[in-house]
Amino acid sequence: MSKAGGPTSAAGRAAREGRVRRIEEYALGGLIAGLGIFTLVDTATIVVPGSANAMGPRTFPYFIGGLLVLAGMAVLVATWRGKLGEAEEGEDVDADARTDWLTVVKLVAFFVAQAVLIDWIGWPLSIAILFAGAAWTLGARPWWKPVVIGLAMGLVLQAVFAAGLGLSLPAGPFEGVPFLHG
Amino acid sequence: MGDFGAVLEGFASALQPIYLLYALFGVLVGTAVGVLPGIGPAMTVALLLPLTYTLQPTAALIVFAGIYYGGMYGGSTTSILLNTPGESASIVTALEGNKMAKAGRGAAALATAAIGSFVAGTLATVALTLVAPVMADFAVQLGPNDYFALMIVAFVTVGALLGSSVSRGLAALALGLFLGLIGTDTLTGQQRFTFGIPTLTDGIDVVVVAVGVFAVGEALYVASRLRHGPVQVIPVPKGWRSWMNRSDWSRSWRPWLRGTLIGFPIGTIPAGGADVSTFLSYAAEKRIAKRKEEFGNGAIEGVAGPEAANNAAAAGVLVPLLTLGLPTTATAAVMIAAFQSYGIQPGPLLLQNQSGLVWTLVASLYIGNLMLLVLNLPLVGIWVKVLQIPRHYLYAGILVFAALGSYAVNFSPIDLALLLVIGLLGFFMRRHGYPIAPLVVGMILGPMAEEQLRRTLAISQGNLTALVSSPFSVIAYTLLALLLALALWARHRERRANQRVTEGDKEVSPAG
Repeated sequence: MSKAGGPTSAAGRAAREGRVRRIEEYALGGLIAGLGIFTLVDTATIVVPGSANAMGPRTFPYFIGGLLVLAGMAVLVATWRGKLGEAEEGEDVDADARTDWLTVVKLVAFFVAQAVLIDWIGWPLSIAILFAGAAWTLGARPWWKPVVIGLAMGLVLQAVFAAGLGLSLPAGPFEGVPFLHG
Repeated sequence: MGDFGAVLEGFASALQPIYLLYALFGVLVGTAVGVLPGIGPAMTVALLLPLTYTLQPTAALIVFAGIYYGGMYGGSTTSILLNTPGESASIVTALEGNKMAKAGRGAAALATAAIGSFVAGTLATVALTLVAPVMADFAVQLGPNDYFALMIVAFVTVGALLGSSVSRGLAALALGLFLGLIGTDTLTGQQRFTFGIPTLTDGIDVVVVAVGVFAVGEALYVASRLRHGPVQVIPVPKGWRSWMNRSDWSRSWRPWLRGTLIGFPIGTIPAGGADVSTFLSYAAEKRIAKRKEEFGNGAIEGVAGPEAANNAAAAGVLVPLLTLGLPTTATAAVMIAAFQSYGIQPGPLLLQNQSGLVWTLVASLYIGNLMLLVLNLPLVGIWVKVLQIPRHYLYAGILVFAALGSYAVNFSPIDLALLLVIGLLGFFMRRHGYPIAPLVVGMILGPMAEEQLRRTLAISQGNLTALVSSPFSVIAYTLLALLLALALWARHRERRANQRVTEGDKEVSPAG
């Protein structure tokens, strides 16, 4: 991580961040309008049974496709006129902080890992990976602490679901342990 | 009135020990989760939905009533006690409550919020008890075109009027409507936008969308700009003597009542529910306050009024929810999803067909409210502990519960993938000022609106004038047009006022 060099580099960074935000805004507006166009095109492939009365299964999707296109265009125009969206505020959001993309990517990666692994290694272990990975990414140290908490959390949730709700989450290596099954 | 007996039966049912325990559980869990920063009532309900999956409907709804009211109480504790520098208060209570806490009067702020919430919640629940049967009787007479008109009103108010950016609100609404389209068309059995993926033929589960857009989206967004360093919670003086003195009482009771009067009606109309009512109550209290100079420095009226309005609106929202099946806020939309997962369809027939269920729910609202009043202040120490949970564990935990919530719907990893995609959508929406509520409301209301529209046109054999053929629908559209005109005018005025302020700044800044 490079240290902030001085006022000029800070200003340059802010300008770059602003430019990125603007590009993102255009991309979002474009994606929404694009989804609208796709909706309009794909609606034409919806089968209309002969018995359909006044309004078949296509009319409403056409309308929503049109709304998506209009809304997307409106966002593009608003962005072009310099009206950018106001980023949401929150108790834990540092309004002055730069976007930490690496953190977002890491969180997404741990979440994907959990989704992929749950059928292989079961709920308690995959949840431990998600919890420990996410907490570590967000700054939990030392690394084994979130691992222990995550594993405990996965097992407790599994037991609660089994005992309280009668649902059996996939147990993975803990298969056969009685209190983990509903 | 025959309804009175039904209400009593509701109480008899809700007062059974096992149901009291469920109510207590709901209230405690709702408050605890509601206290967590960044978790609003909608996310609280969405995250806790899986906990109720195998309960029988009555028990589940009682837990929900507790979670619903508990989440509101918890939220006010957060905004009063959490010291977050630099945040312009998105929650009105924080404006004065935070200042009061910093001045060592946190206990008084918490007390006036809790007692005000109780007073308003109870009065508004009484109003709900009285209004709901009348409304349901009226709603039975409404035709499909009337329902369609109501839904259009809800779409426009939630989508266009409430956010800071009309285009982004509409885009969020349209995205929600699109998500609602995915699946099998109920009338003709045709697949729409399923991309040949088998799981999508039943549509995307509302729980997955709500949890994704609220919980995953929020966690990713906060993580991307996380405030590091220790969590600063303003200390609360111990002992009940510090709660409220005589002057606090005399300054609070009128705002509580005014807040109730403002909150309940606003909650019942599709105009954005709690947020709008708190702003209006705050503005009203500020206008009529004798000590205006205290506003902005910790005026107790500024906590008492908005908190009362908030809870009264929460009860008001239940009127259209129960009698019309019309969700007017994101929280209400998630509640409808919860109802539907038990095969209960809120609407005018609910009070006729399942009146026992409805009145048990209403009775448990009274009971939950009382429990909250009794528990909240004595347990404030616990809530403070909850507030201090290290943020890395908090947001990791939110991700875990989000995964649990969506996985438990179908036990399918595809739902987890879907959850992540929708979470990323929620992340970018937050980042660029797209409101979340229109997406959730659009997704739930979209299919209902399509059904009513098609029913209308089937009856009229395609004649579009049927949409405005009833007095009710004409009134609804006229009111909507008036509302839009009013909003445009307000926006225009606001812009001119802002211009004046910025011009004023320019004149001042060279000298300063």
